[in-house]
Amino acid sequence: MFGHLLSGVVVGVEAKLIEVQCDVGGGLPSFQIVGLPDKEVSESRERIRSAIRNCGLTFPPGRITANLAPADLRKQGVGFDLPIALSILMASGQIGVPASRLLIVGELGLNGDVRSGRGILALALEASRNKLDGMMVPADNAAEGDLVPALCVYPIQSLYEAIAVLQGVWPPFVRDVSVTAAGEMTRRPVEHDLSEVRGQAAAKRALEIAAAGGHNLLLIGPPGAGKSMLARCMPELLPPLSFDEALDVTRIYSVAGLLSADEVLVRRRPFRAPHHTISYAGMVGGGHGIPGPGEITLAHRGVLFLDEMPEFDRRVLETLRQPLEDQSVTLARAGVSVRYPASFTLVGAMNPCPCGHLGDESHSCTCAVQDIRRYRRHISGPLLDRIDLFVDVPRLAPEELMDTPLGESTDTVRERVARARDRQWERADVAGTSSNARLGPQEMRVHCRLDAEGSQLLRRAITRFGLSGRGHARVLRVARTIADLVGSGDIGAAHLAEALRYRSASLLRDS
Amino acid sequence: MMDQAEVGAAAEEEACRVLRAEGYLIVARNWRTRFGEIDIVARDGEVLVFVEVKARSSSGYGGAEGAVGRAKQRRIIAAAKAFLAASRCELAARFDVVAVEGNDVRLLRDAFQVDDVWPSS
Repeated sequence: MFGHLLSGVVVGVEAKLIEVQCDVGGGLPSFQIVGLPDKEVSESRERIRSAIRNCGLTFPPGRITANLAPADLRKQGVGFDLPIALSILMASGQIGVPASRLLIVGELGLNGDVRSGRGILALALEASRNKLDGMMVPADNAAEGDLVPALCVYPIQSLYEAIAVLQGVWPPFVRDVSVTAAGEMTRRPVEHDLSEVRGQAAAKRALEIAAAGGHNLLLIGPPGAGKSMLARCMPELLPPLSFDEALDVTRIYSVAGLLSADEVLVRRRPFRAPHHTISYAGMVGGGHGIPGPGEITLAHRGVLFLDEMPEFDRRVLETLRQPLEDQSVTLARAGVSVRYPASFTLVGAMNPCPCGHLGDESHSCTCAVQDIRRYRRHISGPLLDRIDLFVDVPRLAPEELMDTPLGESTDTVRERVARARDRQWERADVAGTSSNARLGPQEMRVHCRLDAEGSQLLRRAITRFGLSGRGHARVLRVARTIADLVGSGDIGAAHLAEALRYRSASLLRDS
Repeated sequence: MMDQAEVGAAAEEEACRVLRAEGYLIVARNWRTRFGEIDIVARDGEVLVFVEVKARSSSGYGGAEGAVGRAKQRRIIAAAKAFLAASRCELAARFDVVAVEGNDVRLLRDAFQVDDVWPSS
């Protein structure tokens, strides 16, 4: 006797449909799961057996084989408990063949309870893509499945309820419109407001440019100057996440098991600030079995902030190079290869020297020249080359600290940023790339043309700063963003001059 | 005072009585191969049941059920395989244990499975 149902497995942030087949035949009583199951899937046998018995149903005698097809894909996770249990009940004739095609996932407790799981959103999106009739979701994750428009979601608390759904006697979830409606993406009060940071006009301006064009930024200054505070303002300067972007981010957090119960849809742009002791796997992703997402993926569509950047393990910093170019990372392990999105804006912060006081008028630097050199060498040339904006964040003088009036608020700056982003979007309709930081050579030829005065200025700068080909392109992209911030179609000499300022920070001069 | 064999035979007799009362059909008793022995082979509807009878004079030492250990399970499974091969039976099979402790007789359905003993198979 045979039963089959649909389930799914999450590989990276993508889900794949899995057919769960079950055969109950004659012979000695045994229960096997085949189809490349990992250990936790094999262990589900004991949970399934207990759950079926404790629900007053019969675990059928004889030889039971459950197959997870396609058999060449590694199966990880505990979500197969419920579909396997149901397929056994189908194969042994205890429940009928369901009329609808549902995607079924859920971990079973020994008493037949269905427990919450990870990656439900990715599975729900896959169910919707394959035009299934609906999805059975652990009740605790129901809201997550419900984010997918036009998917019928059945929240399940126990094996009993799952059977009732399969028999068609259990109604689907009543959609909570307040969560799904894209129009309900309400703004929340700003948590870190730019006006709270005293002084530092130049750094704030750099932050605005970085937010407007998606440029990577490095803040250099002595301890306590406000580097971390500035960086924390960054996510809220970016335009709010659209519904699709929010789904994209939520899917990652769902896979990582980081969704909080009260915020099913991630609405804030991620701000990830890993400590400098972070491991290689923690940064780019890894772990046993199918590698999990790292900080760069958790920062997708948001900001990755590396405080005390030279203190990071050099190998960890170097791994950022490829994701910074590709906006994604591919982790290849024996048997699996997973691609995670990693489109983030990098904000780094560092001291000018190990003691932190180089260039500070009120403190004298106690570092030896070779110590400074060693400290800065931690950030390699190729990585520096991927940073568009370098800005000094000096210590504030006492009168600046006390008397400077509050600066512009985050809301004011964000409006300018949003307008600049809109201009980039309009251009993207023609050329294809949506942020200035990602402009390709061809698009730059069209959109980054300079007038005679600008060309002359750039020529002088190339000689004076020794700009490389890549560095020269970065200056032009930053200048494009500066022009967009004031709504100018052409890049003027003033825009270019400002862009060049962000190449002339102390870090690049002294080393 | 009965000796061990007599205790066992009396327990099996008692077990058969209980199984019949439960609606089982006794197919064979004391079926032996050189790998092991099955006390009772019975049919419970469409299921073939291999029954191990375990007698204990008291409920100490974990009771009679606890006395069917891994090694014993292996011998029963080996014998059951031989029985299925010899009888060409294609029914689904099950292992039950009947625990006899004085006048207390308990039937334990589906007491163990093949994959409990050989988890990888």
